[in-house]
Amino acid sequence: MRNTAAIMQRELLSLFCSPVAYIVLMGFLIATGVIAWVTSAFEPGAPATLRTVFTGTMFVLVIFVPAISMRTISEEYRSGTFESLMTAPVSDFQLVLGKYLATMVFYLIMIAGTLVYPIMMMIFGSPSLGVAFSGYLGLIAVGSAFMAVGIFASSLTRNQIVAWILGTIPLVLLVLFGQFFVQFFEGRLRSFFQSLNIVRRFDQFNRGLISSEDVVFFLGVTVLFLFLAVKVVESRRWR
Amino acid sequence: MIEVKNLSKFYGHVRAVDNISFTVAEGDVVGFLGPNGAGKTTTIRILTCYQPATSGSATVAGHDVFKESLKVRTEVGYLPENVPLYPEMRTREYLRFRGKLRGLDRPEREAAIARVTERCWLGDVIDRPIGQLSKGYRQRIGLADALLHNPRVLILDEPTVGLDPAQIRETRALIRELANEHTVMLSSHNLAEVEATCRKLVIINRGAIVAAGTPDELRQRITGGSKLIAELRGPNEQVAAGIRELNGVSDVHTEAREGWTRVTITSAKDLRESIYTMSTQKGWPLRELRREVATLEDFFVKIVAAAREETVTPKV
Ligand SMILES: Nc1ncnc2c1ncn2[C@@H]1O[C@H](COP(=O)(O)OP(=O)(O)O)[C@@H](O)[C@H]1O
Ligand SMILES: [Mg+2]
Repeated sequence: MRNTAAIMQRELLSLFCSPVAYIVLMGFLIATGVIAWVTSAFEPGAPATLRTVFTGTMFVLVIFVPAISMRTISEEYRSGTFESLMTAPVSDFQLVLGKYLATMVFYLIMIAGTLVYPIMMMIFGSPSLGVAFSGYLGLIAVGSAFMAVGIFASSLTRNQIVAWILGTIPLVLLVLFGQFFVQFFEGRLRSFFQSLNIVRRFDQFNRGLISSEDVVFFLGVTVLFLFLAVKVVESRRWR
Repeated sequence: MIEVKNLSKFYGHVRAVDNISFTVAEGDVVGFLGPNGAGKTTTIRILTCYQPATSGSATVAGHDVFKESLKVRTEVGYLPENVPLYPEMRTREYLRFRGKLRGLDRPEREAAIARVTERCWLGDVIDRPIGQLSKGYRQRIGLADALLHNPRVLILDEPTVGLDPAQIRETRALIRELANEHTVMLSSHNLAEVEATCRKLVIINRGAIVAAGTPDELRQRITGGSKLIAELRGPNEQVAAGIRELNGVSDVHTEAREGWTRVTITSAKDLRESIYTMSTQKGWPLRELRREVATLEDFFVKIVAAAREETVTPKV
C-alpha cells in the first residue's frame, strides 16, 4: 500500500514536470471548448444539457488519454529506472496500480476543467444536476477503461510515442466497431461487438441512466488491461 | 552471505553466464573481475532478483533469489551499472521516494537520508534536480540509495566507471569504509580497482569463472611459483644438471649463447643464493641472475587480450 502510494506520488510529480502534461491539459480544454461551440450547446433556446458536449468529449479522450499514460512504464524501461524499481521490494502489481492511480488523478484534474460548462448552464438555465453527475460518472468510467488500455500499451515498449500509438489504435477501433462496423456482422459476432459499443454505453450515463451492467463493463475493461500490464511487466524480466 | 551454485543464463542462444559457482562469506569484500561482456552484470542481475537464471541456484542472505525474491530485495543494497535516476526529481525527493519503497516510516526515513547524505557527501546537492548533476554526484546518489536501508549485503556494479581520478579515489575510500559494516560484492573490469578495494577476487571470462581467491593465493596458483633467470659461463649439460639438483626446482630450460648458458628455472622457492653459491664453487662466472614474480596484472591482461581477439575473429 505504501509502495503503491509512493509510486503514484512520484509519477504525479514527474507528470507535472513534463511539458506533455500541460500540452495535454491545454489541448483537452481547447478541444472541449471547440466542441461546445460547434454543437451550439449554449445557444439561447438550446436544451440545458451537456449530452452532445460529453459525447464529443469521449471521442477526444481516445487521443488524449493514451497521451497521459504513454510515459508511465515506457519511460521506466528507457531510463533504466525499471531496474532500480524491480530490485527494491516492489511488486509488479504495485507498480502498475501506482501508475494507474497517478494517471487517474491527472485525468480527474483534466476533466474538472470542463466543470465550467455545467456552472455556466446553472447561471443561464436550469440543467438537471443528476444528469450532469451521471455524465461525469460516465466520463470517469470511460476514462478509467481507456487509461488501463494506455498503461498496458506503455508496458509494451520503451518508446513513448509507440506507446501512444499502441494505446490509441485499440481505442479508435473500439469506438468505431460498436458504432459503425457492427452493421457488417451478423449473429453472435454482431452481438459481441454490440456489447463492446462504448458510445452507446457512455450515452446511457449521459442520459442519466446508470446501469450496473455498464459500470461492470468499464470496471472489467480496466481490471483486464491492468492485469495484462502486470503480466507484461513480469515477463519483461524473464528475457 | 551469497551462495551461487551452477548458475547459467542464456539470452536466446547467447550464453552469458556458464555454470558458475562461488560463495561470498559474511563480512567479505569480493571483487568480481572480468573484461567487458564477461557476464558480470548478468550475474549481478540474477543475484538482485532483476532477472531469473536459466538454471542453477543462488541464495543471498539465506534466501533463494527466485523463491524468496522480496526477502532478498529487502536485504540487498544495489547500485546498478549505469545508475538510473529520475532527472526531474531533486536528490532529497528521490531519496524520500526510495526510502518509502524500503518501508521506512517518516522519522526513520529522514534519519536515514541524513545519514547517507553525510556518508556520500551529498550535502551540496541535496535540494538540486538530479538532471543537473555530474556523473560523480549521480554515482554517489546511487550509492546513497543503496545504503538507505542499511542493508546487510551491498552489490555494486562497476561503481567507479565514468568517474574522474579524484572521484575514483574518493569512491574507493568510501567502499573500503563500507566494507567494515557490510558484506560487499563489486564488479569491475579494472584489476587495480579490485586490488585496491577487495580482499577476495573472482575472475570471470566469457561467462565462466577462471580463478577465485585472495590476490596472494591467485598469484601462487596462476604461476605455480616464480621464475628465475640466470646466465652462467659453463658447459651446458653440467650447468643444467647442477641446477636440477638444487632443492625445489620443478622445471629447467637451458639455452647456449656464445659460451654462456642461459637457464630459465621454475621453482616455488627463491633459489638466487644457491645459484650464486654454485657459481662460485664450480668456478662458473655469473653475469645475470634475476627473479620474475608473476603479477596478477599479466594474468588478467592475457585474459582480456584473449577475449578481445575472440571478438575480432569469432570462432566458426
Ligand atoms: N539483455 C540482453 N540480451 C541479449 N544479450 C545480452 C543481454 N545482456 C547481456 N547480454 C550479453 O551477455 C554477455 C554478458 O554481458 P554482461 O553481463 O553485461 O557483461 P559485463 O557486465 O561483464 O560486461 C554479453 O555477451 C552481452 O552481449
Ligand atoms: Mg556490466
